[in-house]
Amino acid sequence: MKIFKREYLILSILAVLGLALLGGCKPEHRFIKKTAFKDTNAIVITFADRVDEAWAKNTANYSIYEKPDPDIKLKIDRVSLSPDKRTVVLAFKEDLNRDQPHILTISEITSGGKSLGTALVKVKKLYFGYLFSILIGAMIIHNFVFTKYLGLCVFFGTSQKKSTAVGMGITFTIVIVFSAMMAWFLYQFVLKPYRLDFLQIVVFIGLVSLSVQAVDTILRKVNPALFKAFGVYLVLVIANCIVIAVPLLLADNEYNGWESLMLAFGAGIGFLIALFLMSSVRERLDLANVPPTYRGLPIAFVVAGLFALAFMGFSGMSIF
Amino acid sequence: MPATTKTNSQLLINGILNENPIFRLALSMCPAVGISTTVMNGLLLGIAVLFVQVFSSCTISVIKNYIHPRIRIPTYTLTIATWVTVIDLVLAAYMPAAYKEMGIFVKLIVAFAIITMRLEMFACKNPVPASFWDGVGMGLGFMFAMMTLGFVRELLGMGTLFGYDILGFKPLLFFVLPAAGFFCVGIMMAVFNYVELAYNRKKKG
Amino acid sequence: MKEIIRIVVSLTVSCIIAAFVMGTVFAITDKAKKHNEHLNVQETMLGLLGYNKANPAPPDLKLFTMYRYIIEDDKTKNLGYMIPVSREGREGYELLVINLKGEFVECLSLDISPEKASEESERKSSLRAVVKPPRTFTYSDSTIIARLGGKRLAYLLPGEFPGFKTFIEVMLALDPSFKIMGLEIMEHEEDPGLGGEIEQAYFKNQFKDKSFEKVKELKVVKEPLPEEYLRYLEAGTTKEGLISRKEVEEIKSKYQDRDIYALTGATISSRSVTVGVKNIIRKFAYRVNILDSVITGQKIPVAF
Repeated sequence: MKIFKREYLILSILAVLGLALLGGCKPEHRFIKKTAFKDTNAIVITFADRVDEAWAKNTANYSIYEKPDPDIKLKIDRVSLSPDKRTVVLAFKEDLNRDQPHILTISEITSGGKSLGTALVKVKKLYFGYLFSILIGAMIIHNFVFTKYLGLCVFFGTSQKKSTAVGMGITFTIVIVFSAMMAWFLYQFVLKPYRLDFLQIVVFIGLVSLSVQAVDTILRKVNPALFKAFGVYLVLVIANCIVIAVPLLLADNEYNGWESLMLAFGAGIGFLIALFLMSSVRERLDLANVPPTYRGLPIAFVVAGLFALAFMGFSGMSIF
Repeated sequence: MPATTKTNSQLLINGILNENPIFRLALSMCPAVGISTTVMNGLLLGIAVLFVQVFSSCTISVIKNYIHPRIRIPTYTLTIATWVTVIDLVLAAYMPAAYKEMGIFVKLIVAFAIITMRLEMFACKNPVPASFWDGVGMGLGFMFAMMTLGFVRELLGMGTLFGYDILGFKPLLFFVLPAAGFFCVGIMMAVFNYVELAYNRKKKG
Repeated sequence: MKEIIRIVVSLTVSCIIAAFVMGTVFAITDKAKKHNEHLNVQETMLGLLGYNKANPAPPDLKLFTMYRYIIEDDKTKNLGYMIPVSREGREGYELLVINLKGEFVECLSLDISPEKASEESERKSSLRAVVKPPRTFTYSDSTIIARLGGKRLAYLLPGEFPGFKTFIEVMLALDPSFKIMGLEIMEHEEDPGLGGEIEQAYFKNQFKDKSFEKVKELKVVKEPLPEEYLRYLEAGTTKEGLISRKEVEEIKSKYQDRDIYALTGATISSRSVTVGVKNIIRKFAYRVNILDSVITGQKIPVAF
């Protein structure tokens, strides 16, 4: 048990470090502290010290293009300098395509009369933000049950009581994160290089069975109490469309490791949220006066339809 | 469960009415909600499921005596996955427009509980002809359910059937939206319940 | 122990048989799939140019594909155009490298036949032979140039841009003065009935015949589509859309310089398509002018 805990600690430290390194765009010049998009048509550059006003206001010193189009330079409409002379805002006539990284060349940075050379910086949205948006996307905006209609059989089967629902949700999250990571690994290093894409289905479903088996064994040994509570749901996980949809999705979208992890985690938590919401309603439905033909599944479907309508309100949302 | 005593035609009807996968057994509901937006989609996915069900049933029925009991489930999964891959590749090559409509659902057939359940409960204990007809029955039942849903949703949502303009206007666009899939399946299930209740009442009284 | 061996053996055998079945089916269907895809794209392109079953394309209509790459090493970035040329009556491909200022750098001959050029892997290997490390190349996009009777008929641009949901893939047809000849939506994941209406004639055809000057500052207006304009837009598709020639010309000239009418309940999708189309055309016009000046300057015998 002790070994288990220590490994957990090491893993979590590594994860935090990794995420910290990914976050933010490191500027490639010691004088430029930060660059970022602002509103829909501006870029903000923060310098480490004051810059000369005459130099800063000269649009010819800035050259910017979208990464895939190095030959097309964007036209800067206006440059404004902050009162403390450390921040420059470049405004453009047209909205910027913020999904693309932009390459900004700042030439002959002049501060206090001295030239500090030329800097080439990449302006893009925080990668961390992108990862986070995949997570929230899979959790709420593209909720696998209400927006993508997957995993319904198990969903309706286990959403009768809050306790079963929560148990199923947690077990499911664990299995799906596990199998999604293995699926990503196999896809990137075995299936793609050897052009065995058509074996996707077989391989992924095999992985899912393996993960279920693995989680089953680990849980049995590590925490028998937990196993007693959740073990019975493990078998149901394999009949769930979502566990195979997640690997298929991450293969389709060519996500890298971190993105796959976010997708899997979001899918699992989204499923848990859906289950929890549904079970809360169904517990109350049991006490309500439902017409005989609707009792049981039909009314549950209607309720699910209402939830789906509500979740539609999230569609198209984009954070970061 | 011992080998079945039903005749082949009885098996067929069974799959469509008594043990209709979607409305009675409440299995494989994911596509029922997600894809039944038009009759055409329902038909195509129904054909795909029919194909997989029939071929898997027959395959398992043929090799049922060679399957080691402890690796039953992996064998079923492997068989189903193979046939799903085959139909997936064939559809992608010869019917690309339809394939794109169905998106990920063709690949998801492998996770349909109905197919595994049928193999477990029927195909591994029955001879090939019986398994074949059972598979056909289940597949047809699935197709029938999907097409009924598609019929209702397409007609009410887009005013068309099979792409042909019937009504000339769109009564309730809502039905094409995925959320309506839930409503429609729920209501259809209630209808089946009602029919069963009425039938039982008639039998008794 | 014997049990486990038996299990493992039977599992392995089943896996091998399954893999064999799937592999065979894959080998057979892969070719058909690629062929169908190619036919589908061709049909869409010809449709955009105005040809269909009733009006088939003339036999001397030729389609040439040009591929754009970004070639870079540590210090410089250049654009590389893989263009079809015809030297001494034979058709082949050459890599024309232009720097970011629009000046000619070099022209290298490539060992690839026109049929193989549509395969990404073939292009890659032929480029690798001439673009040696430390230089690297990345694929950007492709353009199809239609040529009829010795003159350029149209440019066909496949493009992709973000939409309301995920991405929208389109195919644009431009005439030599960059006026839009037609727009076709190839793929999208917008909501059916709302954003999905971008593939309907009454939205797509609004882009037709818009001049380059208008496109450069094209916007979306949130107003209902006028009834007469709707009839004009759907004229080709519905049976009731029969209107006289004079009416067609009147409506066309009236609405030609108007902005795009947004779809009901899908303003963002309409905007995405408009902005996406605008960007594709502007970037293309800029590039093709530079390319043409370099081609004439260097007297390269391009096939188009």
